[in-house]
Amino acid sequence: MNEQHLTAGERKVLKALVEVDGTVPAEAIAENLGERTDRIVSILNALAERNLIRLDVRESVSYRLTDEGKQYAMNWLPEVRLFAAVKELGNNISVDQAVEKASLNNKEKGIAINWAKRNGWLGITKVEGKTVLEAKMDEADSPVMRVLKKLNEGNDTVPQHLDEGLEVSISRNLVERVVTKKFEAQVIEDRKDTIDTLLTSTTEGIVNLTPEMIASGSWRGAPFRPFNVTIDPPYVNYGKKHPYAEFNDWLKEILVGLGFTEWFGPYVETEFWNNDTLFVPQDHVAREVQDQFRVVSPYDHGDILNTRYYKAVKAVHENGGDTGSTGWQAPFSKEVAQRLVLRSHTTPVSMRYLSEHQEPPQKMFIIDRNFRAENLSARHAMEFNQCEGIIMDKGLTLRDLMGYLAEIVRSVGIKKMKFKPGQFPFTEPSVECFAKHDVLGWIEVAPGGIFRPEVTHPHGIKDTVLAWGIGSGRLYMASMGINDIRELYSRDLAWLRRKYFLR
Amino acid sequence: MIVSCRIDSLVGLIGKKLAIKELEDILFLLKAEVERVEGNEIEIEINPDRQDMLSAEGIARAIKAFLGIQKGLPSFPVKKSGKKVIVEKGLAKIRKFISCAIVKGVEINEELLVDYMHLQEALTATHGRNRRKASIGLYVHDDIKYPVRYYPETPSKIVFAPLGYDEEMDGPSILKSHEKGIEFGSIISSFKKWPALADSAGQFLSLPPIINSNDLGRLTTETKNVFVEVTGTHLPTVNQALNIMVTSLGERGGAIESVTIQYPDGSLMETPDLKPLVMKVSRKDIIALTGLELTDEEIIESLTKMCYNARMSSKGILTIQVPQYRTDILHPVDIIEDVAVGYGFDRIEPTLPATMTVGRLQPLTRLKNRVRDLLVGMKYQEIMSYILSSPEMMQVNANRRDALVKTGNPKSSDYSVLRNALLPILLDFIAQNQHVDLPQKVFEVGDIVVPSETAETRINQIPSVSGLTTDVSVNLTDLMNEIGFLLRGMGLDGRFKFVPSDNPTFINGRSAVITIDDEPCGLFGEINPEVLENFAIGNPAVGFEIHLPRDGQW
Repeated sequence: MNEQHLTAGERKVLKALVEVDGTVPAEAIAENLGERTDRIVSILNALAERNLIRLDVRESVSYRLTDEGKQYAMNWLPEVRLFAAVKELGNNISVDQAVEKASLNNKEKGIAINWAKRNGWLGITKVEGKTVLEAKMDEADSPVMRVLKKLNEGNDTVPQHLDEGLEVSISRNLVERVVTKKFEAQVIEDRKDTIDTLLTSTTEGIVNLTPEMIASGSWRGAPFRPFNVTIDPPYVNYGKKHPYAEFNDWLKEILVGLGFTEWFGPYVETEFWNNDTLFVPQDHVAREVQDQFRVVSPYDHGDILNTRYYKAVKAVHENGGDTGSTGWQAPFSKEVAQRLVLRSHTTPVSMRYLSEHQEPPQKMFIIDRNFRAENLSARHAMEFNQCEGIIMDKGLTLRDLMGYLAEIVRSVGIKKMKFKPGQFPFTEPSVECFAKHDVLGWIEVAPGGIFRPEVTHPHGIKDTVLAWGIGSGRLYMASMGINDIRELYSRDLAWLRRKYFLR
Repeated sequence: MIVSCRIDSLVGLIGKKLAIKELEDILFLLKAEVERVEGNEIEIEINPDRQDMLSAEGIARAIKAFLGIQKGLPSFPVKKSGKKVIVEKGLAKIRKFISCAIVKGVEINEELLVDYMHLQEALTATHGRNRRKASIGLYVHDDIKYPVRYYPETPSKIVFAPLGYDEEMDGPSILKSHEKGIEFGSIISSFKKWPALADSAGQFLSLPPIINSNDLGRLTTETKNVFVEVTGTHLPTVNQALNIMVTSLGERGGAIESVTIQYPDGSLMETPDLKPLVMKVSRKDIIALTGLELTDEEIIESLTKMCYNARMSSKGILTIQVPQYRTDILHPVDIIEDVAVGYGFDRIEPTLPATMTVGRLQPLTRLKNRVRDLLVGMKYQEIMSYILSSPEMMQVNANRRDALVKTGNPKSSDYSVLRNALLPILLDFIAQNQHVDLPQKVFEVGDIVVPSETAETRINQIPSVSGLTTDVSVNLTDLMNEIGFLLRGMGLDGRFKFVPSDNPTFINGRSAVITIDDEPCGLFGEINPEVLENFAIGNPAVGFEIHLPRDGQW
């Protein structure tokens, strides 16, 4: 692309090369043009790719001290200091005394003893239960020390006879090997004509189009300097919505499209709304502290505002009331009913909606947070979003419920499904819709049912109320490739900046 | 609940060879799910409404009827044994009820013994609410000297060798050191006297609901005849548990005999009562609820496939006999569901009615969406967090004292209160992202919860939005411009003011309260370095939080 054009940078570099005969190091060009070497190298690469210049790469190796190496270059190696201390204090001196004399810290002490022993400078023996040191030679010759000194004097290589010392220095992390690539460029003779044409054809051009140029029309006939428009743009961080929030927005859009009205209910509920109105017996295991969060402070019990409704719910539990049910044949406790809990599902919201909307037709949905007394792990969380709703109309049936479930499940992109009879305390009949997911296989995605008369009659509702839910968290996790439920509410900003939910 | 069965045993009970796939499909249509198959073992998940399917016998019975091998009400004839259990005074508050049966000639072997124990455990765990409501004991009938006494006894006088032990222990030691005593002791430990079951020779059968005696209460492969007792606090639950237990043993060839229970007031009760429950359901109701245009024959066929007997009157009323082991038939709708299950969920064609309604979002959702769009336009990244939080984050670290709503049974103190502000959550978020590219601008829109003494559920749940910016240097003027853009974008031009205010979350002299129509509804400022330190944040930050109206209207 752009065979006939050069970018401004390419032009500058190429010009510099043409002016000089022969090979030029990249650093020299950089210095000459007042640019960074890496930028020049990248331009040279581009020119070489277009076969305008030849670029040779030579590797050169140099050595430099690490921080630790620098320290030893100045203060001497620990083992040298230890040997000197022993020499000064005399043989059979205790380790502790020698270390103190050599002023070695704990880390250096280990290094010193280890290397002094390996080099055969010092011997360690036990005398009368004490560990003592003994010098084995008159003088300690340390090639490592000489390497450090050489490099510390400003050299970046060492003479060949110190190679062994250099190897040890590198293995001890005192010296590091630095590989530098040297780039040298040269214009290709055969391409000189092309280069000339390229350099003369668009020597200058408009960089920034200004209001003045537009007003005066001076841009007419003038060339525009081309830009490199093939660059892969870097990742940048602008504002963005949370992918899970985008998923929930998408669900809401679908449900509104199907005619559902969004509703709201509080996170803190009385057990009356959370369980009793849903015909969950008061001694049901799901109501125990192992499953349900109790609210204890600053208040632990709430009010039941509608006395008539309360009485109807109580009667349904005790003996079925006027519903034709046997009820639970057990006493009903108002204290339990008033107890405060963090709602364990969104179904109490459906109940609150029905208490205010008793005339058909009605369609309501909610997507919101619920709480279960679970330990946070990859598979369980103490909070989860639920998406559910109800449909109330005259003459609705189990077949209609299955139709709605199928429609909702289809609208989130699932094509294959099957139904299984299900069980929930507040619906009868109950259904579970299983969906064939591309990745997960058959999964349970949409539970549903027809509210029991014990649930609807206390509201004075005699029409059929279909209730449905959808396992939205699971669908979201599958679509984002998330396996760990904790990532639904990810605390990783880098991840959030990268991720999108695509419908 | 998961029920584990041996496949050969299950297939033997069904009496028809079925491939695993067939078995799986049939169970799916009967509400049960196959969880795992390994060798001869099959694990089946049973829904809590079908307590009668907690054993291979119960599952096989349901399958047999569904496949038409043995349809209709299973028959369990009950003969009077003439044996008696005498309930003595003083148990009314402790564990009032007992129901018993004798099952003779039960098939028994090592594996079946384990199965019977499993059923007993499963039933008492779920239906019996961990033995509190009902618990079951099985005994060697031939070793018992009738009548049996059920009476309250001083704990130290209840002395027998508990199941699995050779040495005798008294009641208090059983509760203290026997594993079942430790697990279930709390059911009776608060009472002065404990329930005891003994025969007329003075031998203890058990300490209900804790443990059986190792002598009378240990079934072996030699046992032919079994005495079954269920004690509990709720008579219907006690009877249902007994019915399920004895009918399962009945499926294994046992002949069921009844026992007379004599209560302290002199009343007599003959248990078990396996006479079917009779319910009436109209054809009209069945068709109206299912939407299936079934003929009378189809309805009756579906019901018999679910173990009911049914007869249709000329007026379209069905008289239905319900097996006594079903615990979940409270209302005609429960039978109507079984019509649909018996018909087959795989045969039901879904329909989509034209229930005409106009859908809409909550006005608040629309406002929240507007706020999110405005903040994204200002280059903020949206985050989502848990509602549950910790007092440390909300109060200590953020230098705040606002009251919190607390849960009494948190799983960890990190998630023990409901958040009462979003800003501390954003501070925690950036503290966890110190290494990520700067600048960081994050926001969250969500509900917060504060206590409210007069509210129905004692809380006020407030929709809120908070934003936070951190960088090597931050600028309060930029933040104020952003808040102005946000508020004006919500149509509040001319209605909001920034009123200087000291707030320990922020630097003194660099924070304000946001008012709308002179009502305070938010705050902003530069974060106090003390707070930054508390959260271990290395860069300065500015932030704001604004409460939104629940009805979406300012």
